[in-house]
Amino acid sequence: MASFLSFVIKSLVHKFIIFFIVITLIFLIPRLAPGTPIDYLVENPRVPPEVRIELIKKFGLDKPIFPDQYINFLYNFFVRLDLGYSFTYQEPVLKVVSERLVWTLILMGSAIVISIPVGILIGLLLAWRRGSSTGYVLTSLILLARSFPVFWIGMVLLLIFSFYLKIAPSGGALTPGAVYTNIFSYLEDVLRHLALPLITISSVFIPRYVILMRNASLNVLGEDFVWVAKAVGLSSRHILISYVGKNAILPIMTLISIDIGFIAGGAVVTETVFSYPGVGRLIYEAVLNRDYPLILGAFTIIVGVTLIALTIAELLYAIIDPRVRRGET
Amino acid sequence: MVRLKPRRLIDFLKRLAKKPPGAIGLTILLTLGIIAIFAPYISPYNPWERVGTPFEPPNPKHLLGTNDVGQDILSEIIWASRISLTIGFLSALISALVGTFLGVIAGYFRGLLDRLITSITDIMLLIPSLPLMIVLAAFLGRCIFIIIFVIVITSWPSVCRMIRAQTLSISSLQYIEAAKAIGAGSGRILLKYIIPQILPLTMAVSILGTGEAMIAEAALSFLGLGDPLAKSWGTIIYWAFVSGGFTYGAWWWFVPPGALIALSVFGFMNLGYALEEELNPKLKQQQ
Repeated sequence: MASFLSFVIKSLVHKFIIFFIVITLIFLIPRLAPGTPIDYLVENPRVPPEVRIELIKKFGLDKPIFPDQYINFLYNFFVRLDLGYSFTYQEPVLKVVSERLVWTLILMGSAIVISIPVGILIGLLLAWRRGSSTGYVLTSLILLARSFPVFWIGMVLLLIFSFYLKIAPSGGALTPGAVYTNIFSYLEDVLRHLALPLITISSVFIPRYVILMRNASLNVLGEDFVWVAKAVGLSSRHILISYVGKNAILPIMTLISIDIGFIAGGAVVTETVFSYPGVGRLIYEAVLNRDYPLILGAFTIIVGVTLIALTIAELLYAIIDPRVRRGET
Repeated sequence: MVRLKPRRLIDFLKRLAKKPPGAIGLTILLTLGIIAIFAPYISPYNPWERVGTPFEPPNPKHLLGTNDVGQDILSEIIWASRISLTIGFLSALISALVGTFLGVIAGYFRGLLDRLITSITDIMLLIPSLPLMIVLAAFLGRCIFIIIFVIVITSWPSVCRMIRAQTLSISSLQYIEAAKAIGAGSGRILLKYIIPQILPLTMAVSILGTGEAMIAEAALSFLGLGDPLAKSWGTIIYWAFVSGGFTYGAWWWFVPPGALIALSVFGFMNLGYALEEELNPKLKQQQ
C-alpha cells in the first residue's frame, strides 16, 4: 500500500511539473511572436478602454518581461485563476472556457468508453483469424480507415445523414429554442446531437485499438502457455479470453494513456465540423476571431484535462499491473 | 552502409514490390508523384481561373464540377497534390533528421545531455500535438514554412525516442566495445558503425511519418490556418466547408480531396511498413 501511495504522489508531481512547463510556454508564446504582448493580449477595439488599462496593470504588461511579467502571470494564473480577457466574449477567459468544457468531456468520455471495448474485441478476433483471407482483408480495411482525415469523415457523415437522409441534426449540442417536458426528452435531444460526432471520433480510435490489440495478441499467441492450453484441450474461446486477452491488455493500457492526448486533437476538428459547443470548437472560433487570450486559455484547459486523464489511466494501469508501481518496468 | 547506386536501388524496389504492402504503397505513391510532377500538362484548366459557373455538379466539361467562384475542381486537386505531398514529405523528413540527430547523441553519449534530451521528448509527447500546432500557427502566421515548422516541432520527439533506443542497443554490441578498446574515437565510431545502421531506419520513419504529417497539414488547413495563397487538399476542403459548398450539398468539392489525402496516407503507411520489414531482419523473423 505504501508503494502505491508513493507511486500516486510521484505521478502527480510529474504531471504538475509538466503543467507548469506548459503554462510557461503559454506565457512565452505571445512574447516571442512578432509584435508586442500588449498587441496580442489587450489590443482590440472590442476591449473597453478602462478594461484595457486594468489588464495592463494586472498583468504588468508595461513592465519588463522577466521577472515582473512572469511573476504577475504565475500569480494571476495559480492564485486568482485568471488567464486574461476574451476579446469576443468580453468576459474572463477561464469563465468562457469552463462553460464549454462539459460538452467536450461528454464527447471525449463516450468516445473512449465505446472505442476501447469494440477495438479490443475486433483486434482479438483478427489475431485469432490471422493468415486467413478474411483476416487480411479486414486488416487492410482497418488500415485504410485509419488514413482518412477526421474532419472529412465527419463531413461525409453529415452529408449523408443530415443533408440527404435528414435523420440527424446539422450540428450543435441541443436544438435551439427547444422546450423540454421532462428529463428524457432532454436526454434524447442530447443523444441525437451526440451520435454523429461520436461515430466520427470513434472511427479514428477503434482502428488504433484494433491494430494494437491484434499485434499484442499475436505476440501472446506465440507463447508456450498457449500451446499448452491447446494441448490440454481448452476451447478456443476460453483460451482467447482468459489467456490471450488478459496478457495483451497491458500494451493497450499504455496506448490509452498515449491516445488521450490525441483525443483532444480529434475533438478540435470534430467539434468544428459539427458546430459542437466544446472547447475544441472554441479554439477554432478563437483562431477565426484572432482572440489570442482565448486561444491560449482553451489550450491550457485541453492540456489540463489531458494530464488529468493521463494520471487516471496511469493509476488504473498500476492497479492492474503491480509491477508498474514497484517500478519494475 | 546502404549506398544509393541506381542498380541497387532498383533491386531494392523490386524486392519491396514482391510483398502486397510494398506493391500497394509503391503503386499509389508513384501514380500520385507522376500526377504532381506533370500537373501543368495533366490539369484541364488553370485552377486559379474562373472557367465555369459556380457550383456546377460534375459534367463532361468539368469532370469534378466547379466551386463557389467557378474554378475547375479537378484542376485544383491536381495542382494541390504538389503542395500536400511536398509539405507532408518535407515535414516528415526534417522531423526524422532532427529526431535522428538528437536521438543518436542522447543514445551514444549518455550522461547529462541524454537526460536533457529525454526529458524534453517526454514532455513534448505528453502535450496534445494538434492543439499545440494550432496555438503556434495562430501566433506565428500563415505560410507554408510555418506549417512545416509546427509539424516538425510536434513530431520529432517520437522519432528521437525510437532512434535513441536503437542507438543504445547498437552501442552496447561487442564490436563497438572492441572498436573503443583499440582506441577508435567517438566520431569514427558514430560515422562508421552507428549512423550507417540507423539511417535506413530514419528513412523508414520519414516515409511512415509523411502520412501523419499530411493529416496534420490537412487538419491545420481545415481550421483556417493554412497558407491562403497555396492550394492544398486541406485548404480545398476548408473552402468547401466555409464558403457554403457544404450546406449546398456540393459533395464533389470536398469528397475527392479527402479521398486523395486518405489514399496518400494509405500509400505511405504501406510503403513504410514494407521498408521497416525489409530493413529490420528481426521483424522479418517474427512474421
